[in-house]
Amino acid sequence: MNIQAYIESGIIESYVLGMADEHERAELERLSQQHPEIRAAIDAFESSLEQNAMSNTMQPAPRVKSDLFIQLEDEFKPVTEAKLVTMPVANTGWLRYVAAASVILLVVSAATNVYFYNQFREASNQYQALLVEKTSLLAQNEALQTKGLDLYNGMQIMSDPAFTKVSMPGIKSEENKLATVFWDKKNNEVYLLANRLPQTSTDTQYQLWAIVDGKPVDAGMIDGCNGLCKMKNISNASAFAITLEKRGGSPTPNLQQLQVIGNVAG
Amino acid sequence: MEVAKKYSESELVHLLQQRGQHVFSYLYDNYSGALLSIIYNIVKDEELANDVLQEVFVKIWRQVETYDSSKGRLFTWMLNIARNASIDTIRSKSFQNNQKNRELSENVYSSAGTSQLNVDQIGLRKLVHQLKEEYRVLIDLSYFQGFTQDEISKMLDIPLGTVKTRLRTALIQLRGIIQP
Repeated sequence: MNIQAYIESGIIESYVLGMADEHERAELERLSQQHPEIRAAIDAFESSLEQNAMSNTMQPAPRVKSDLFIQLEDEFKPVTEAKLVTMPVANTGWLRYVAAASVILLVVSAATNVYFYNQFREASNQYQALLVEKTSLLAQNEALQTKGLDLYNGMQIMSDPAFTKVSMPGIKSEENKLATVFWDKKNNEVYLLANRLPQTSTDTQYQLWAIVDGKPVDAGMIDGCNGLCKMKNISNASAFAITLEKRGGSPTPNLQQLQVIGNVAG
Repeated sequence: MEVAKKYSESELVHLLQQRGQHVFSYLYDNYSGALLSIIYNIVKDEELANDVLQEVFVKIWRQVETYDSSKGRLFTWMLNIARNASIDTIRSKSFQNNQKNRELSENVYSSAGTSQLNVDQIGLRKLVHQLKEEYRVLIDLSYFQGFTQDEISKMLDIPLGTVKTRLRTALIQLRGIIQP
């Protein structure tokens, strides 16, 4: 079965909009479990349908919400009602008052319970929402810390006198591009800063080359890193350059796709 | 104390299934406008659309236990409830009778301006309106009026196979509009 053709057939839209028949629905649900790309196509259409609907709204009449809350009132508060039982009352007058008072107390106490129960439920719902919010903040914080640390380490290298800075401007017609290599000639360590390299398409990738004895040597692939990217160790380079290669890199550079180049000073 | 927060979909479902009142209120505030526009697209009468909206939220509230997140998004589920309830409404006897009465009175007072919003300028219909006539008709009959492909084939006197392929093409084009 050609999955791509199936996805493009309109069945996804038909399913999400509730127009598919029983047979089509069962088939799609079965296939979507086997093929994640079908699941992804369903998700994508659902999201855009939702986004679209959320930006095309109509103002409901105010009565609808208030009527709804009156109609569903009992369902929000599953009240356990205290049963009132009428008992044969003896003639003794004072007992009558005691009975009446205790019934009133019972009702008041039940009402108070309901009130506190609702307060408690609301607080517990809000507490849960806060917990979720806290977890997500913690995760964000952690990501920021990692990023900050990467940037700090990058700064240490950039300002270290052991590193030679090799600025690589874009070649003719690619003047807007810029990348910089930081190279420790003694320890052969190479770091790359992609100052201005536009995003590549998914099937291509930037590759760094060192020119050693007049020949290009692979210095590694450039893949989304914060700040400085650690590249392969290189010794005796006279220049560095970046080409655009197919994803995964090439054994020799495609010079047609040369992006930036820079000579090592001194 | 009202805290303005935004729930993720799974939190929303979880809290709804715990029957929280303020979550239901949040759900209503967030989605009633979008659902009303699809209901209005189908019933084409504002007053009636508001009645159906109320009915739809009662259904959402009472059936939220049956919502299965592995099958799709909460919004899709609610949208389908709204569509089904609206189609049930326009198929009901009382609606059909009202419609006849209204057509009569509109013929009599045809000059009386109505304050109703133009249904083709709202929600999903606004997008469908951009399609070619032959596709628009099919989406109207199947999505907004809920007819089966078999019924449409008979109504328009077009072979069932043609209805099927044309409807699929219409949906693909509609996706192109929704998902630019």
